[in-house]
Amino acid sequence: MLEIKCPYCGKRSQNEFSYGGDATVKRPMLGEEISTEDWDNFVYFRDNPRGKHTELWHHVSGCRQWFKASRDTATHEIFDTCKMNEAFNE
Amino acid sequence: MSNAYRTKNSTGLINKNKKINFSFNGHTYHGYEGDTLASALISNGIHLIGRSFKYHRPRGFLGVGVEEPNAMVQLHEGNKSEPNIIATEVELVEGLKAKSQNCWPSVQFDIGEVNNLLNRFFPAGFYYKTFMWPKSFWMKIYEPFIRKAAGMGVAPLQPDPDRYEHNYEHCDVLVVGSGPSGLASALAAAKNGARVILAEDKANFGGSLLTDEVTIGNMSGKEWANDTVAQLKSLPNVILKKRSQVFGYYDHNMTVMIERVSDHQENPSKYTPRQRLHYIRAGEVIVSTGSIERPISFGNNDRPGILLASAAKEYMTVYETLVGKKPIIFTNNDTAYSTALEFLKNDITPVILDTRNNSNGELVKEVKQKGVNIRFNSGIADTKGHLKIKSAVIGELDKDKENFTSLESIDCDCICMSGGWTPTVHLSSQAGNKLKFNEEIDAFVPDKKRQRESAVGAANGSFTLNQSLAEGFQVGFDLSNKFTDNNIETNTPNSKEPKYEKHERLWCMPLPQGKKPKRFIDFQNDVAVSDVELAIREGFRSIEHVKRYTTLGMAGDQGKTSNLNGLQYVSNIEKKIVPEVGHTTFRPPYTPVTIGAIVGREVGNHYLPTRKSPIHNWHEEKNAVFVAAGLWQRPRYYPKESENMNDAVNREAANVRKNVGICDVTTLGKIDIKGPDAPEFLNRVYTNAWLKLPVGKARYGVMLREDGMVFDDGTTSRLSENHFHMTTTTAQAANVLSHLEYYLQVVWPELDVNVLSTTEQWSGIAVAGPKSRELLSKLFPNIDLSNEGLPFMGLVDTNIDGIFARIYRISFSGELAYEVNVESNFGLHMWKRIMDEGKAFNIEPYGTEALSTLRIEMGHVAGAELDGRAVPFDVGLNGMVSKKKDFIGKRSLSKEAFSSEDRQTIVGLVPLDKRTKIPEGSHIVENDKVASPVPKLGHVSSSCWSVEYNNPFSIAIIKDGKNKIGKNLFAVSPLKDISIPVEVVSSHYVDPDGERVRS
Amino acid sequence: MQKYSVFSLVKNAFTNHQDWEVAWKDPEPKKEYDVIIIGGGGHGLATAYYLAKEHGITNVAILEKGWIGGGNVGRNTTILRSNYMFDSNAHFYEFGMKLWETLSQELNYNVMYSPRGIINLAHSDAQMNAYARRGNSMRLNGIDAILLGRDEIKQMIPFADFSENCRFPIHGGLMQPRGGTARHDAVAWGYARQADSMGVDIIQNCEVTGFDVNNGKIEGVQTSRGSIKTKKVGLCVAGSTTLLADMLNMRLPIEAHVLQACVSEPVKPLLHQVVTFGAGHFYCSQSDKGEMVMGGDLDGYNSYAQRGNMPMIQHVLTGGLAVFPNFSRLKMLRTWGGIMDMSMDGSPIIDKTHIGGVYLNCGWCYGGFKATPSSGWVFAHTIAHDKVHELNSDFNLERFHTGKIIDEKGVGPKPWIG
Repeated sequence: MLEIKCPYCGKRSQNEFSYGGDATVKRPMLGEEISTEDWDNFVYFRDNPRGKHTELWHHVSGCRQWFKASRDTATHEIFDTCKMNEAFNE
Repeated sequence: MSNAYRTKNSTGLINKNKKINFSFNGHTYHGYEGDTLASALISNGIHLIGRSFKYHRPRGFLGVGVEEPNAMVQLHEGNKSEPNIIATEVELVEGLKAKSQNCWPSVQFDIGEVNNLLNRFFPAGFYYKTFMWPKSFWMKIYEPFIRKAAGMGVAPLQPDPDRYEHNYEHCDVLVVGSGPSGLASALAAAKNGARVILAEDKANFGGSLLTDEVTIGNMSGKEWANDTVAQLKSLPNVILKKRSQVFGYYDHNMTVMIERVSDHQENPSKYTPRQRLHYIRAGEVIVSTGSIERPISFGNNDRPGILLASAAKEYMTVYETLVGKKPIIFTNNDTAYSTALEFLKNDITPVILDTRNNSNGELVKEVKQKGVNIRFNSGIADTKGHLKIKSAVIGELDKDKENFTSLESIDCDCICMSGGWTPTVHLSSQAGNKLKFNEEIDAFVPDKKRQRESAVGAANGSFTLNQSLAEGFQVGFDLSNKFTDNNIETNTPNSKEPKYEKHERLWCMPLPQGKKPKRFIDFQNDVAVSDVELAIREGFRSIEHVKRYTTLGMAGDQGKTSNLNGLQYVSNIEKKIVPEVGHTTFRPPYTPVTIGAIVGREVGNHYLPTRKSPIHNWHEEKNAVFVAAGLWQRPRYYPKESENMNDAVNREAANVRKNVGICDVTTLGKIDIKGPDAPEFLNRVYTNAWLKLPVGKARYGVMLREDGMVFDDGTTSRLSENHFHMTTTTAQAANVLSHLEYYLQVVWPELDVNVLSTTEQWSGIAVAGPKSRELLSKLFPNIDLSNEGLPFMGLVDTNIDGIFARIYRISFSGELAYEVNVESNFGLHMWKRIMDEGKAFNIEPYGTEALSTLRIEMGHVAGAELDGRAVPFDVGLNGMVSKKKDFIGKRSLSKEAFSSEDRQTIVGLVPLDKRTKIPEGSHIVENDKVASPVPKLGHVSSSCWSVEYNNPFSIAIIKDGKNKIGKNLFAVSPLKDISIPVEVVSSHYVDPDGERVRS
Repeated sequence: MQKYSVFSLVKNAFTNHQDWEVAWKDPEPKKEYDVIIIGGGGHGLATAYYLAKEHGITNVAILEKGWIGGGNVGRNTTILRSNYMFDSNAHFYEFGMKLWETLSQELNYNVMYSPRGIINLAHSDAQMNAYARRGNSMRLNGIDAILLGRDEIKQMIPFADFSENCRFPIHGGLMQPRGGTARHDAVAWGYARQADSMGVDIIQNCEVTGFDVNNGKIEGVQTSRGSIKTKKVGLCVAGSTTLLADMLNMRLPIEAHVLQACVSEPVKPLLHQVVTFGAGHFYCSQSDKGEMVMGGDLDGYNSYAQRGNMPMIQHVLTGGLAVFPNFSRLKMLRTWGGIMDMSMDGSPIIDKTHIGGVYLNCGWCYGGFKATPSSGWVFAHTIAHDKVHELNSDFNLERFHTGKIIDEKGVGPKPWIG
């Protein structure tokens, strides 16, 4: 079971969290004129690195805050977590 | 015969004052407190325990603990029956019943042994090469035959009556294993103030100190172990756990430990769990799991009575049991000589065979001094004795040790073999440690760690007591310093132990000339040297291929005694060094774990929580039949007397259309939304416009996922300028909240909005039907419920009996209807008040089935239509989609495929005979007579008996639905062999203009 | 090639099995091949086999970075079925079922195809309706399916929870009688042996490290054992697809996730069908060795680790005891994990790419094993003709732009949501 440090609550076990996928996906602005391809890339295409992955987690059975984690997809090591408006300490 | 095989001296851990009776294969025996089933059986002279998997060969004990591959029994009877229990791990309790498995009619005479006679036809992988012709025979003849032979023990057929619990622990240092290095680490870490858990798999702490003759400080090893345990027990920062095995090492230093709580107790109390699973998150883990002795492969090395030398020694020293009285000791190293010395203490002189040319280790010298003849440069070629070892064919080895130069037969009643030691690296490897091969000991040891894990002692390849203690004290102290500032170091005591000479790299004996007895490597799965040879010959050269092709190391013991010998043999054939061959992956669990313990208390009715509305008991009293809606229990219908479901549902639904009905809608998801940007937020979340919704008004909304599919729908009302109350479907309540939080926190953090689930704060009661206004007016005489006072989609706050109530004029049934919300605690009160007042209006409760009928007739979509694959266009919700503004998922809707004629869209269906109800899940076809594959137009999502028109009506989603209205098609259900001619109509079957809700 | 049969087995028994030939050779890579298949798993081996057999293309190399059959083909729960609702999946997998039925004979290797039936349990009327929708669709597509009531289920698996105490009682179920299992390793080895015998080079311990692309066309691959020329490359590396696609600058609608499975200790046979639980994540079959083979759901976060964590094992086994309370006293023997190529609609991608001569076979999610024959067959066709076959025409990459997605689960582009 992973141990995840919620930037608001501290270290907690994984069963308090739910996963939110690739955090680098940026939603187009509302009303933004973008190509269909760009839109589809946003909806369906993801980064899928082996190694460091920036991803979203939701402290769903806790403070209910979404936050970012930098995690190794090969070893599952979590390098850092931070609030949505923060950057990792790296 | 009874207990004829006990040692002379009582120096072990057996309490001879307490006799314990047990039965094996129907015969009653006794042992003593402190015995395992294994030691009790051996002390009664019993070595034949079961039969092997493939060849049904008679098998006894190889080991004394978790490494045991052979001695598996079926334990207990009835619903407590348990298959595949290794007898070495069972503590003896009064009345224990065990029997042999995988044999018929008996373990002495087993028909399955014919496989052994034919074993030359069953080499590794034989089943891949045959049983193919004729084709139909596999399923009918061959496989049933093979399946008959499958398995070892028998699974119980009843639920498990026992209780299992879970526990979560945190500690600074977890020490796994309580041998010398484990005790040393625990003591050093604990004395330095760290929070320590010491876990020992066995019933006694001490590990090798219980069997080895060593001195630590001025105490014997055993005394030092007892003293150390006593010290640890006295410290408040230490948890000591015996009968507790750490079986898995997972990410982020999470380990899992299984504790056998009550299996060894004669009469455990009712609420004592049988086993307890501990999730332990440790700051640091010290792996002091020791090592396991390696067997040697020689002809027929699997007969009952052939064991590991260390096992024989432990039976003598701990369990006061003699594995035989005419032993042969066969070794490639010095450690087996301590077993010889134990025999000598019992006035038994063993025959000693040593593959080496000589050794001058201290133990060897001691044995020599006692005048025992040691046959160096010798080995065992073959053995005899069907159900128990009777004799061995032994001989001298030639210079290259590839052949025997001479052979002779000697009688024996046991063989104690030793091929050296394998560090137990399972946990380190599971933790991600890349192992390295240590040529000094010819085994893999931990190397580069990935997690906070440190191996010490034999598990680290440090086989001497001096090393073990030094490592233990050092590592225990160093690691504890990470957690405390005490800096209290415990000195390593002096220790004395015999000096050993090096083992020989020889684990497989040559065959006797002209003969080909099986030389087993993996005992349980019957994998012999010849199988490994065959695998390599056929090109299965990767060690993983060898494992899979031969099943080496895949049995219940997971290769604890066989993996290293297997890959050593591969390396011999391939002329590669062992590290080039590599090793297979160590996977959890270390030993098999009871599934019940992994699951814990979430069994039976506790599988998942049950959610009940505050009105639940009332429904129950009124004889409601319930239906699961996710975790919720909702009343499905309320049958009266002999009514069946259809009658009850039609009555309930018709009463809503005619009079008034009441329905518990508490389960609907409710979300409180507040903040200055709340209208803007809703405007982005929903497909329709929200900015101009007046205070005191509700609106129906549809929300999409970004891929354009309908995600959820519901009504949301504006309570004040910046305060909204959202309702969601019961099923999606939790997902919608997470969805909203995602957009507020991740995508649009600039919006000043807060959301909060209020599902459990409100109890919702729908009051629907033409008489609903009259009824509520009586209950709430102070408010104006007229169409002008509270129009459709309006809401009003009021009071009743001092309780706050909010009345929404919303309708799912399509009738004039209201939804009364009160605080949950008052839900039942409100419900009863409405029921009492409603008697005069013929009020009746209606359940989810009638609710469905009412919404289907009206063409309102629900879960069956909104299945996560529908865009608004498909389900007649295009009108809800704003063309002016942007919202979540809008951009996806412009995909051509989402509005093409091919797209399946919503319609209504009426059977032409106006009688036959169309089963949900039927498909719509143009022609029901064509051969498959039949072109499908779509499917029936929801069906009901229309109480309005008194005929069946269904909602379907079909290709180009709008243009099919008026056509006759077929609804077919091949599963039920049904074809029903239907007419396609509008999905809005009743009151298509929605006049009633506005009346 | 030696023919395997009961006669050859007996004959070899009398020579102590000294005369068996290697099942496949271990050749050095040549300088050039007509087709290179990357990935020596089930799909890669099957593709090479059908290239040789159906299209006469035998100058083919399979490049495997480890040992063949070591990926998902050796890590799955061996279930075969074609019980799909949507036509594209139904026709494709049903084509595969027909190949499975004769595969042992075709490969002269017993893959132990065992059509013992797969039952999806339903625990509510709504679920029965959903299964009826699927089952009717199957039947109209010419696939076997039957609806079972509670009593019929009880006859088949009497030890399942039919008690009062059951949280989600069994209402009935959908059964595909021809569904079943096969021996996973044997599938890989059987295809390898036949492909090898027709001239395909199976090259193990050969990792692809780069691609030579010129003017939008593939010209060769770089490997840990040197560069190899070719005009066609097929990617069959589910679990590592995007790592190779990255080398080709292709972004794909795929995420890697770990799926765990576990087996119990072997017990005498009592479960004769494949059973899936409808009120939780759990499915189970009993192998010919007697082990209960159990699986459930993804661990739920992107992962390339072929191992998972305990919460999912606990979750899956909790579902297991909800169906089979008598399994409580069995013991879990072994757990393992495999990396799933999770596509964004749960359906595979078998297609050409924008690079000439590069073909893609990926996105198998949890379902790759049963697709092994059909996937190999259509992929071989696609590579040989540089054109998709009708059976894989819907499994294109374009669908994520056209909207013709094939979403059997209906949860949208979040593969970790079960």
